[in-house]
Amino acid sequence: MTTAPSQPNKSATSADGSEYVLEARNLIKRFGPVTALRGVDFNLRPGEIHSLCGENGAGKSTLIKTLSGVYPHGSYEGQIVMRGVVQEFTQIKEAEAAGLGVIHQELALVPEMTVAENLFLGHEPLRFSIAGTGLVDHDRMYTEAHKLLEQFKLNIPAQALVGSLGIGQRQLVEIAKALRKESRVLILDEPSAALTEQEVEVLLRIVRDLRAKGVSCIYISHKLDEVFAISDRITILRDGATITTLDAKQTSREEVIAQMVGRELGDLFPRKRSKVGEVVLDVAKLSVADKDTDSDTKPRLADISFQLRQGEVLGIGGLMGAGRSELLMHLFGMEGRRLQGNVSLSGQPLATSPGACIEQGLVLVTEDRKRFGLVLEQTVGFNLSLSSLKALSPTGFVNKDDEARANDKYMQSMRIKARNQETVVGTLSGGNQQKVVLGKALMTNPKVVLLDEPTRGIDVGAKREIYELINQLTDDKVAVVLVSSELPELMGMSDRIMMLAEGRVGGTFEGDNITQEALLAAAMGQNHSEQPPGSPKNSTAASAALEDS
Amino acid sequence: MTQQPKVGLRDFSMLIALVLIATYFWWANAAFLSARNLSQLSIELSATAVLSLGMLLIILPGHIDLSVGSGLGLAGGLAAVLIVQHGFSAPLALLVTTLATVAIYAAMGWIIVREKIPAFIITLGGLLVFKGVHWLVIQNKTIPVVEGSGSNLYSILTTEYVPPVMSLVAAAIIAGLLGASTWQNLRQRKARGFEVDAEESFLRWFLSSQIMLLFVLVMNQYRGVPLSALVLGATAFVVHIISQHLRLGRYLYAIGGNDEAAKVSGIPTGKAVICAFAIIGVIVAISGFLQTAFAGASTTTTGSLMELDAIAACVIGGTSLKGGRGDVVGVLFGALIMSTLLNGMTLLALSPEMKFIARGVVLALAVWMDIRLSRSAARA
Repeated sequence: MTTAPSQPNKSATSADGSEYVLEARNLIKRFGPVTALRGVDFNLRPGEIHSLCGENGAGKSTLIKTLSGVYPHGSYEGQIVMRGVVQEFTQIKEAEAAGLGVIHQELALVPEMTVAENLFLGHEPLRFSIAGTGLVDHDRMYTEAHKLLEQFKLNIPAQALVGSLGIGQRQLVEIAKALRKESRVLILDEPSAALTEQEVEVLLRIVRDLRAKGVSCIYISHKLDEVFAISDRITILRDGATITTLDAKQTSREEVIAQMVGRELGDLFPRKRSKVGEVVLDVAKLSVADKDTDSDTKPRLADISFQLRQGEVLGIGGLMGAGRSELLMHLFGMEGRRLQGNVSLSGQPLATSPGACIEQGLVLVTEDRKRFGLVLEQTVGFNLSLSSLKALSPTGFVNKDDEARANDKYMQSMRIKARNQETVVGTLSGGNQQKVVLGKALMTNPKVVLLDEPTRGIDVGAKREIYELINQLTDDKVAVVLVSSELPELMGMSDRIMMLAEGRVGGTFEGDNITQEALLAAAMGQNHSEQPPGSPKNSTAASAALEDS
Repeated sequence: MTQQPKVGLRDFSMLIALVLIATYFWWANAAFLSARNLSQLSIELSATAVLSLGMLLIILPGHIDLSVGSGLGLAGGLAAVLIVQHGFSAPLALLVTTLATVAIYAAMGWIIVREKIPAFIITLGGLLVFKGVHWLVIQNKTIPVVEGSGSNLYSILTTEYVPPVMSLVAAAIIAGLLGASTWQNLRQRKARGFEVDAEESFLRWFLSSQIMLLFVLVMNQYRGVPLSALVLGATAFVVHIISQHLRLGRYLYAIGGNDEAAKVSGIPTGKAVICAFAIIGVIVAISGFLQTAFAGASTTTTGSLMELDAIAACVIGGTSLKGGRGDVVGVLFGALIMSTLLNGMTLLALSPEMKFIARGVVLALAVWMDIRLSRSAARA
């Protein structure tokens, strides 16, 4: 069985005496007139975890793709050196053969297959094999899959369907799949974007285990907590160039951020409280079941009540699967069947379709902007005005002058960096795409804005701009619901925080009551007195994988 | 949203294909380029192209309609029966038939949206049902569109021509209007700070005016511009307005581009799709009248397989079967290529077997080319 490599690197010596397992020497990569990498130097010591930090567009992905053979030799300038030997990869397979493995953030698993089948996809153990074909040896596949999962202490059953797993667990399966290949250098590109805090712990433990076995890791993450928890060294990229490489023990978050943005960022979370007005959104005893389920199935959301006032930011937190997104989607008329409870907006019952909700003044910015937010092949202008077309076409004909003016206004106020309205939205960076989604929502002049993970996968600078925007909204008497899986963001930007645990309110916090420990305890349902007897504590989908961690 | 990307290989590939096909037929039989045959071709084109334009509105939101071929056979047959056997006046018969097809297609759209059944299945059912009903309506006979040797609004659709002088005047007026709208559009884009390529816009206008003028001149050498070509022109104009200037058009592009994002954006996606199906109801009626009038009578084979010609025309014209991409000009080009093929093969007296094979090969080639070109565009 092939597992993660077990033999440590013999020594750091190599052909030309270089002490590094992987080196980028003065890498330059151009795309037409755009220079994505302008002379990047980077090196990786044996058995170290080296984090790569930089804003979106700083060149991290380009560097990774160049190192791992996605961009073949000849399409870049400079040298890639492994153990002192210059490498000229022309395709990914050659890089893999040289011991360089990459774990991408996109999931490439087949949901209809079991965990084991996914782990061995394309490399199934065979019996009666002749010339590479034969019958799949299921016994051996499951035994080996089980061993592999065990080795990384992942409590995921090998025979479970991947489709039945939460997104965090799927990510861990993906990582286990990559570890099956024998890699001496492992590149993890934003592996934790979809993970809960506990799952991140599991991931970090796996990476540390690998380091102990002599594997060198390049770790890319926007989350500085993780970077500092795990790194030996940190290299910062900005505008396609190496800014500096820092020893993780001798630097600070502030220094890293300052180097990333190239300017000092004052407070990470610039929340200023606004004057709070009347109640706009009133949710009373809301219970919701999945659509198309029998009436006696367990509700997805149970007995949720809260009020939201003008100019207020209500943060909603919870573990993966706690029902945060489901709550927002249901309020917006997208998901679920209401069992009981009432929702009203400014005293009127809230409509139950997205179009009607928008007309009433409630708008949702979903967490998955590619799936729910944008028509990627269309232009910035097309997307910005999409929710406001009714107002822009009172007769049915789109008034293109009014539309262009409205689009312009939001392109400027959202500071969307695009040539003009006719730029195709799919070509923009993640942060700018997110601003288009936000601009589209705000163009509808909402009273209540529901934000689901508005800063996921975008860089520090763009995050900050979105935080400023939230301040500006509440100053304009708009009420904001902010769902986030990053506790610091939740704590930094909310006036009040409601934690959900298994579809119920785990606790509501305000002012001095807000501590990381209290929030986490509430998310795990530990101080929830109304927990029905017999229901196991801590048994959310997210923590199922973590029981022995 | 009006997108005017730089002219690429895609735009030319269709033109090159058309020129090659026409050159071959001309070489094989010089009569292909005669005014008489081109006039004939433009009448044949009308029914296919009108239908293809309707299909565009169904494919844009990512659906498909397989029932239009037998649907238009039914529409043509129903109108003929109403006139010949029930004494309806031609205008009334056409109106009643149109209302009926709109109701039927809107109902199909409603079922597709409401019950979330793939359009492929529902319209496949429609294909069979409409065919059966069509045969019932005409009692498996040949029903002429007009009694005896007279003429009515139905029969003149493909037999009447606009007088030469009037055609020229109309062409001049349309060219003028096109020029004015091009200029207006340029001015507005400049005012909005968009990129403007005055030269290219002028060239586009100049070329399209020239083509229109050439068309009128060639048609005038025979009997003038066929009435059916006017019907096609009007349909193309309306579909262009719907797709580029109406809210509904935006909705259709958005639904095809990303259905879920369209829903979250508050778009009534179901209503928009039902609207598209209601519109194709009108189109099915119009192309049914054209196709039946062209044959002179409704028979059991009227409209057979035309749904495939329409889908082929859309795809050849750059419409994405996944939805979200496609426009009127492309579809017109695609329909022209399909009609030219059929017309040329008929002129060469090819057997029906060969015609089927050639149509199939062209469709497969077009899709293959579409995938190849969009892949290389994505890579660039």
